Amino acid sequence: MSTSTVAPEIAAFASAVRAALADLPAEEVDDLTEGLEADLAESMAEDLRRTLPDPVAYAVELRLAAGLPRRTEQPPRGAFSRLAAVWQSARVEIAEALDRNPSLGEFASFAGALRPAWWVLRALIAAWLLAMFFGSESVAVVAFMLFVPISVQWGRGRWSFLGVKGLVVAGNVFAVLAVPAMASAGWWSSHDTSYSYSPDVPSQLGLSMDGRPLDNVYAYDAAGNKLTGVQLFDVDGTPLTVGTHVDETQALPSPATLETGAKVYNVYPLAITRMTYDDLGDLVPDPSPDPDKAAAYANGPFLKVPAAQVPAAPAPQQPVAQPNE
Amino acid sequence: MDATQLLKGVLDVAVLAVVEDEDGYGYDVVRRLRAAGLEDVGDASVYGTLRRLYTAGALTSYVVPSEEGPHRKYYGINAQGRAMLELQRKVWAEFATTMTNLLEAS
Repeated sequence: MSTSTVAPEIAAFASAVRAALADLPAEEVDDLTEGLEADLAESMAEDLRRTLPDPVAYAVELRLAAGLPRRTEQPPRGAFSRLAAVWQSARVEIAEALDRNPSLGEFASFAGALRPAWWVLRALIAAWLLAMFFGSESVAVVAFMLFVPISVQWGRGRWSFLGVKGLVVAGNVFAVLAVPAMASAGWWSSHDTSYSYSPDVPSQLGLSMDGRPLDNVYAYDAAGNKLTGVQLFDVDGTPLTVGTHVDETQALPSPATLETGAKVYNVYPLAITRMTYDDLGDLVPDPSPDPDKAAAYANGPFLKVPAAQVPAAPAPQQPVAQPNE
Repeated sequence: MDATQLLKGVLDVAVLAVVEDEDGYGYDVVRRLRAAGLEDVGDASVYGTLRRLYTAGALTSYVVPSEEGPHRKYYGINAQGRAMLELQRKVWAEFATTMTNLLEAS
């Protein structure tokens, strides 16, 4: 299609309309929007006061008049399908932008030059996934060295027999999805030489008791006195945190601050803000919290518990320095 | 009462009538509808309606290449479209008479 006479704002508008129809088969979109630029140009030329409408609303009108299904207003459930939808519409937009604006080709070739970096990155991601599976970092090193040539050769199209294009696309999508997982798992930070916590936003799950999520933990010493500021870890040094179950528990924990400045959620008992749902269904701090529950959160279930006789710990086989002493 | 709401129900027959008169491309049909007095008709509604009537087999379509700008897609009526238009003309005439009688009687 000759585009030399189409004003850029009309071309942009038409692209946006097509993007809003991107959930339909490409053929349908073509049929529906063929001549759109010409029609718009003519209509704009005829009425100079006319402004371009909202492309999304325009697309909805077009779609309804054509008797096509309304675009599912609910975003697709699940990160995977939502990402796929975003990716799909972004792809359409990029393809059209390139089609309409040859100078963008310059950018496309620049982006293309970055592909080798992506090949290395996806090898890193694959190695990390494998290491997660086996729970060993040395696996990651070996796998990475193995995966880099595979990924690069694959990317260069040298080993096309390794799989169909769809497999490559699926693998790339999977690798992209793995990046946030990698980041949140603190893979990089665990390689810091300094003592640091991995990113410690409470996980979705967190501490639970018999399947019931915990929103706080109250510790008492052997004499039965309440303790505050108790930092809990498991044997691997993972901070023991409660999950983010604010929806269910309506208890929003506030983090404690370490001397390093890090905000952590494994210092108990946590300061809790009682939350409630307002008229709009949003979770907001409860303006008039139940005083009994608030007191229970602040003071714990007991002011004092019976003193406990603690069995002597078996002597360690060899003395180890305790990090907290 | 909002005329645009009423228009939705009769846009098919309005578009068929305009195209029966003479083949037209999207904006040309919009312009002719507006000239006929349907000033509030939306571009996208007309383009979508043209597309739907085409899919339903009531219109033919052909592309006219243009030297200066993008191609134009013309729509023309066919036998099925004419039959549809005749039927809808009768339906409209009956409905309009009924409504007029009802409104004038009250």
